Amino acid sequence: MHPISFSRRAFVQGAAALALGALSGPLWAAPRRDVVVLTAYPETVVARFETAFERAYPHYRLRVVWRMPHDALPYLRQPGQNGVDVYWSASPNTYAQLKREGGWQKLGIALDGLPAQIGQSVIQDPDGYYVAAETAAYGFAVNPARLQQLGLAAPADWTELAAPAYAGQLLLPNPAEVGFAPVLVDIPLQAYGWDTGWALWSALAANGEFIGRGGTFVSDEVASGRKAIGLSIDFFVAAAIANGAPLRWIYPRQGGVNPAHIAITASSPNPAGARAFARFVLSDAGQTLLTHPDIRKLPVRPSVYARLPAGSHHPFAVAEQGGYRYNNGIGQLRAAVVAAAFVQACVRPHARLVALWQALRQGDPARWSAVWPLLTAPPLSEADASTSALQQVFANRRQDPAAEAAAQVHEQRWASQVDARLNQAASLLGVRA
Amino acid sequence: MIRPGLSVLLAVWLSAPPLLAADKDDDALLTHHSRRDALSQPMSGLSASEREQFFHGRSLFNQSWVVAPAADSQVDGLGPLYNRLACMSCHAHNGRGLPLERMGERLQSMLVRLSLPGAGPHGGPRPHPVYGDQFNEEGIPGVPGEGRIQLRWHTVQHQALDGRRYTLRRPKLSFTELAYGPLGTVLTSPRVGQPMIGMGLLDAVPASALQAMAAEAKPDGIRGQVNPVWNPQTGQSEAGRFGHKANMPSLRSQIAGAFLGDLGITSSLHPNENCSARQTACQRAPHGGSPELSDAQLDAITFYLAHLAIPARRERDQPEVQRGEALFAQLGCTHCHRPQLHTGPSAFPRLGGRTLAAYTDLLLHDMGPGLADGRPDFAASGQHWRTAPLWGIGLTATVSDASRYLHDGRARNLTEAILWHDGEARRARQRFERLHPGDRAAVLRFIQSL
Repeated sequence: MHPISFSRRAFVQGAAALALGALSGPLWAAPRRDVVVLTAYPETVVARFETAFERAYPHYRLRVVWRMPHDALPYLRQPGQNGVDVYWSASPNTYAQLKREGGWQKLGIALDGLPAQIGQSVIQDPDGYYVAAETAAYGFAVNPARLQQLGLAAPADWTELAAPAYAGQLLLPNPAEVGFAPVLVDIPLQAYGWDTGWALWSALAANGEFIGRGGTFVSDEVASGRKAIGLSIDFFVAAAIANGAPLRWIYPRQGGVNPAHIAITASSPNPAGARAFARFVLSDAGQTLLTHPDIRKLPVRPSVYARLPAGSHHPFAVAEQGGYRYNNGIGQLRAAVVAAAFVQACVRPHARLVALWQALRQGDPARWSAVWPLLTAPPLSEADASTSALQQVFANRRQDPAAEAAAQVHEQRWASQVDARLNQAASLLGVRA
Repeated sequence: MIRPGLSVLLAVWLSAPPLLAADKDDDALLTHHSRRDALSQPMSGLSASEREQFFHGRSLFNQSWVVAPAADSQVDGLGPLYNRLACMSCHAHNGRGLPLERMGERLQSMLVRLSLPGAGPHGGPRPHPVYGDQFNEEGIPGVPGEGRIQLRWHTVQHQALDGRRYTLRRPKLSFTELAYGPLGTVLTSPRVGQPMIGMGLLDAVPASALQAMAAEAKPDGIRGQVNPVWNPQTGQSEAGRFGHKANMPSLRSQIAGAFLGDLGITSSLHPNENCSARQTACQRAPHGGSPELSDAQLDAITFYLAHLAIPARRERDQPEVQRGEALFAQLGCTHCHRPQLHTGPSAFPRLGGRTLAAYTDLLLHDMGPGLADGRPDFAASGQHWRTAPLWGIGLTATVSDASRYLHDGRARNLTEAILWHDGEARRARQRFERLHPGDRAAVLRFIQSL
C-alpha cells in the first residue's frame, strides 16, 4: 500500500474547504470552474474535446495537464493528487494500481448503453471506479501498391505473414520502446496458444525489421513503400488514411483491443465538474468526436456505429460473431514480462533469426524437424509468465532498483538460453549466424 | 516533343515560370499529395539519417510539452505561462490557424500580441511591464494564467466598384479575468498561426534580394520595405522575413521565439522564462532545464520545417486557371505576391540555388487602416503587413477544418481577403472589383490552384 492515504487526505481537504467556506460564503457558493484533466492524448484529441465540452458545459473550464502514461502514476501519488480531477488516458496499469491504493472515487454516473466487455476484454472496472472511454484495436497497415508490385496478397491474419514470400517486408514495433506494442505481442500468444504464438513470432521477426518508434512512424514507412506491411494499433494508421496516406488497414481475424479509460480522483477538488466531463466523454456527442479523421478511435458506445459509413469497423459486432477473444485481463498482468522476454527472444537476436530462417527455408527439409524447435521455442513457459512474483518484478522495474536488478537476471537467463538454441540451430544448418 | 531549351522559353513567354530551377531535381522539393496531409510531407530524396532527423523534428513539433519536473525530461518545462501545449496546436496539419468564432471560447490556434506605445529593446515592440509581449491564457498548476480573451466580430459593410455589397467582419478584443491587474492602455494584435511550408526556402532568399526588391520602382504607389529586426542568435540587426510583420529574421529564431512565447519553453536563443516581476508564482515555478529546448532539438525542428515539401500546383493545365494566372498579373497582384524568388546558399544544401513560386516578396507593405492593428513592430507600422506567401493556399479548406485568411482570420473566403486589401494594394483590389464575374472566378480558381 502506498504511504499516502487518499481517503484520509480527501477528508482533510474537505474539512479545509468547509473551514474556508465558513469564512467566505460567496466563494463557497460559487461553483468551481476548473476541471483539471490529466491525460496523454495528443493535441488533436485534447483540443476537440476541450472545445466541445466547454460548449456543452459553459460553466466549466477544462485545464489539461499532459503526462505520458508511464509518468502518470507518480504524478497522481503526489499530495492532493496534484489537484487533478480526472485521469483520462490509455494506461490500464495506472488505473488498476490506483484502484488498489484508493486513488479513485466511484464514477457515480449512468453507464447505460455502454457494454462492459468487447469479446473477452473487460473494458469497465466491475467495482465502478473507471470505465473505458474509447478503445483501439490491432492489425496491419498495408501498402496496396507495394504489395501489387511484389505480387503479394494482402494478409488476412497473422499466420499468413510468416510465409517466406513476406520476408523483408514487415515492419514490427519493438515492445521495449513502443507503448502500444506489448499488447500486440500478446495477441498471437493468446490466439494460437503459447508455444505456437512464440513460434509465429520467431517467423514474423525473421520476415521483418523492428522499429523503436510507434505513432505515425509505421504508416510513414509503409506509405513510403520502404516496407509493404506494418503491424500497428489502428488509430495512427486510420487517421493517416483519412488524411490521405495511400494505405489500407486490415483487422486480422484474431484481434485484440486496448481500451483507454476515464476515472475521477479520490481527491478531486471538483467532483461535479469531473463527472460532467466524464459524462460528456462517454456521451453520444463525445463518442462521436472519436471518429474525427484526425482521431479515429473506436467508440465504446455501440449506438454511435450506426451513423458511421458502411464498412466501418464495429468491434462490438465483430465480438458478437466470435471475434476479439483476446483477454486483456491476462494480457495486462503479463504484458511487461512478455515484452521483456520478446526482446530477448526476437529483437536482440533479430539478425541471427533472419539468417537462420533463411538458411532453414533454403536448406534440406530433412533438417526442419530438428532445427525448427530451436528457432521457435518460447523463452519462458506460460506458467512462469503467469506467476505474480515475476509479473511484479517486471511491472515495477522502472520505479524499484531491486526489481530492475532481478529483471536483468531473468533477461540474461532468457538470452543465454535463446543463444544456446540458436547456436545449435546454426550448427545443424551449417551456417555462421 | 518540345526541346528542353524551348520549354524554358515557352515558360517565360506564357508567364508561367517553372517552380524550381531546371538545374536541380524540381520534383524533389514538391509533393503531389493534395489531401489533409498535403502540407506534412517530407521532401523526397532525404537520406536515412535525414529522414530520422525529419521525423524527430516532427515528433517535437507534435509533442505536447510536460510540466516540469517529469520523467520525460527531454520534453518537460512547459510554461510557467503558455498558450497551448504543442506547436501543432496553432499549426494543425502545418496549415493555418483559426480564430475564435464564438464568445467565451478560448484561443486555440490564435494568439494576441501586446505592447506599449514606443520602442523596446533593440527597436522592437515595448513589452507590457506585467503581461509581456504576448498574452498567455494558460498557466501550469500553481501559476495563474494571465486571463481570458474575448473576441467579438463586428460587421463591416463594403461596396465594391461593381456595385456589389459585401458584409465583412473585423475582430474586437476584450480581456477578462485578468490575473495580474489591469492591462491599462495597451496595443494588441490578434494573430492566427501561419502555414509551415517552404520556410527553409524563404530563409535562404538572400537579404540582398529583399533589399533589391524593396528598391525597385513599382507602379500603383506600391513601395515595399525590408523590416530590419534583431536576431538574438547573431546579436545584430537583419532583414526580417517570418511572422505577419516580418519581425523574425530566420527560421531558427522564429521557432525559438514561438517556443518561448507560445509554450514557455526556453532555448539558447531565449534562455529566460517569460515571467514578469509581478508574476511571482511564475518566477518560482520549476523549470525543465537550462535551456528547456536543447540546441539538438531546435536543430531537429528547424530541419523538419525546412524540409516540408511544397504542394505541387493543381489544375495548371486548365484554361480558366491559366486565364486567372494572367489576370492575377494584370491586376498588379504580382508586384507583391511575386511568382519568382531565388534562394542563395543555404545551410541545407538542397534548398540553395532554387527558384521559388512562393507568391510573396517578404516585404512590408502599408495595407491601409482597415487591416491595421496599430501595433508597431521594429520598422513595421500599425498598417504594415508582410506579403503573405500564397503557395499552398488553395489547400486551406482541405487541410484545415475551415478556411480563414489574413493575419487574424477575419476573411472567410479568398474574396473577402482580397477585399480587405487597401493602402499600397488598393489599386489592385479596385481592378479586381471591376472584373467581370467570370474573370473574378478565374482569378480565384488560379489562387486555389496554388
